[in-house]
Amino acid sequence: MSAPLLEIKSLCAGVAEKEIIKNLNLTINAGEIHAIMGPNGAGKSTLSYILTGKNDYEVTSGSVIFNGSDLLSLKPDERAKEGIFLSMQYPVSIPGVSTSNFLKHALNSKRKHDGLPELDAAAFLKLLRTEAQKFGVSAEMLKRELNVGFSGGEKKRMEILQMSLLQPKLAILDEADSGLDIDAMKIVADGVNLWHNNNNSLLIITHHLDLLNLIHPDFVHIYSDGHIVRSGDKSLAEELEKNGYKAFLDNK
Amino acid sequence: MTLTTQNNNLWGDDIPWLYGLREKAIRYFEQTGFPTAKTEAWKYSYFAENALQNPQIDNTKHECDGHCHCHNKSDLPFEAYEIRFCNGKTEGEEIDLPNGVNVKSLAEAIFDNDIKDFLNKSFDYEDFPFAALNTAYLEQGYVLLIERNTILERPLYLHYHQHDNMNRLCNIRNIIILERGAQATIIEHFDADETAIYFDNVVNEIYLAPESILHHYKWQNEAKNAHHIALNSVQVKANAQYKSLCLQGSCTLARNESYIRLLQDGAKTEIDAIYCLKQQSVSDITTNIRHLATHTFSNQLVKGVVSDAAKGIFQGQIHIAPNAQQTEGYQLHRALLLSDKGEVDCKPELEIFADDVKCSHGATCGDLDKEQLFYLQSRGIDFEQAQQILIAAYLNEVIEKISDSKIKNWLQREFKLEDIL
Repeated sequence: MSAPLLEIKSLCAGVAEKEIIKNLNLTINAGEIHAIMGPNGAGKSTLSYILTGKNDYEVTSGSVIFNGSDLLSLKPDERAKEGIFLSMQYPVSIPGVSTSNFLKHALNSKRKHDGLPELDAAAFLKLLRTEAQKFGVSAEMLKRELNVGFSGGEKKRMEILQMSLLQPKLAILDEADSGLDIDAMKIVADGVNLWHNNNNSLLIITHHLDLLNLIHPDFVHIYSDGHIVRSGDKSLAEELEKNGYKAFLDNK
Repeated sequence: MTLTTQNNNLWGDDIPWLYGLREKAIRYFEQTGFPTAKTEAWKYSYFAENALQNPQIDNTKHECDGHCHCHNKSDLPFEAYEIRFCNGKTEGEEIDLPNGVNVKSLAEAIFDNDIKDFLNKSFDYEDFPFAALNTAYLEQGYVLLIERNTILERPLYLHYHQHDNMNRLCNIRNIIILERGAQATIIEHFDADETAIYFDNVVNEIYLAPESILHHYKWQNEAKNAHHIALNSVQVKANAQYKSLCLQGSCTLARNESYIRLLQDGAKTEIDAIYCLKQQSVSDITTNIRHLATHTFSNQLVKGVVSDAAKGIFQGQIHIAPNAQQTEGYQLHRALLLSDKGEVDCKPELEIFADDVKCSHGATCGDLDKEQLFYLQSRGIDFEQAQQILIAAYLNEVIEKISDSKIKNWLQREFKLEDIL
């Protein structure tokens, strides 16, 4: 068996001296789809920020090995170039920066890191147009300033477009379904399914079953108070949907 | 500080009125001296006198060996009428100009006796110590006259280049006159060899007759060890417009002061500026906009980026006279302070004596947005580049206001913004 893609061991971490993640263990192998479900305030987003290296989030103990190396020693951009992608719950707007030029910078940073030649404007635009079409991202949207005036659905589609362009090894979808109507969620799910293969992995953070009916997880973890309290397959999510978190957490 | 002249005789000292003007100004300047920390208008950017290291007044004739950079045609990406200064001196070259545009050196205009109505008529030098100094050593500069209803298609490009380290005090006086209905664009571009040491002291007197429009761009790309003090003293008459954009880079001390008088009904001005400062440089944008008539309009947008131990200053005064009803005056200053050692000082002053006006001012100072930085980094863009992208986006708001696309594109390229935005 090959080495795991992501291996989180006894991780304790938090922000501003407040411990939020408490002794978390999670292993994700290449090709797997994991879903983390948990109530509000359980620290799910904190986990995504710890994995991507956001400032102010600090690891107090434990280790995270990604693709054979120590993830925690890398800067956020290095983690991204190594193949971690976070589809954010609330993508920020950046006025003054055009969406397509931003995407070109991001892709070329990755290509440079991978030892590939950078794409020129024409080659990039061609690629971008093809990718954008898959996610219903219009040419007009690409001309706009990054996430400025985008609706919730447009922002999430833009996140998935970025994922598809950057071709990460591990994509973390933090509430990728929040604020989406059924059609938009289907576009996002189709995009993710199209991208997913045996060599890349997915960590889906969600409250709801809806997205998991479109992207089928191999493993479902119930996450509470900073660690995983139960793991299982998709039936666990269905059970959860039926009975609610409280029933689970009280009986653990 | 002492000013030493190599030769006390300036040209034109045999013209009584000119001699009198200079004498009076030097006596005034000797009495008052350089501004100090106690001079209100200069309290943030006052001179440490010893920092000046005795600049020289050099009134010898311009002698350049003809091989220096300043003799080369500039590499502007568009056609312009080029007027060059080398080490603070006019070159006296012939400039091929279209009908309706007259350009004379200051000396020529003085000998022709057609300047007395404009020289030192737009300001009182008691309010501007360096303009007094400039008057005392009045020598170099141009008089640009755009005749009635002339619309100048190409910009007038004034290129000031400095390339030695004699620490010359270069007093430059330009007089720019637009007659009724005339339209022109002026670009002032200051640059220098990296090691040059000098003190530019520029005064532009600008007279805009009714219905005329002047676009004034200024790019201060001075050497690290330079001083640059400039006064733009502008009179704007009925329905005339003065639109300016000043781009300040790092040097020992730079000050760009705009003294704008909106004299008649419907006069309009827009004063925009950018400063990008590093190391120990000090930059000062000072504006004084005087609404003296009805239906006058002013708008100011100033954005700065301060790194290292640099210091950025914005002093913006809007004065609305009692009779200047139905006037609008707006002002916004924003600064990015990127280091703990840097400093930003902001002094907005609104004096409003009329009651039917719309006025606003705002000032902010902060760091780059951490969430935006993280977002860019999380997409594989390293911290330095992420910073550059956000700074470029921030500054571009000012550049985007340029209506002339060829000038806008040129500046975006020079500031390496086009690749980012």
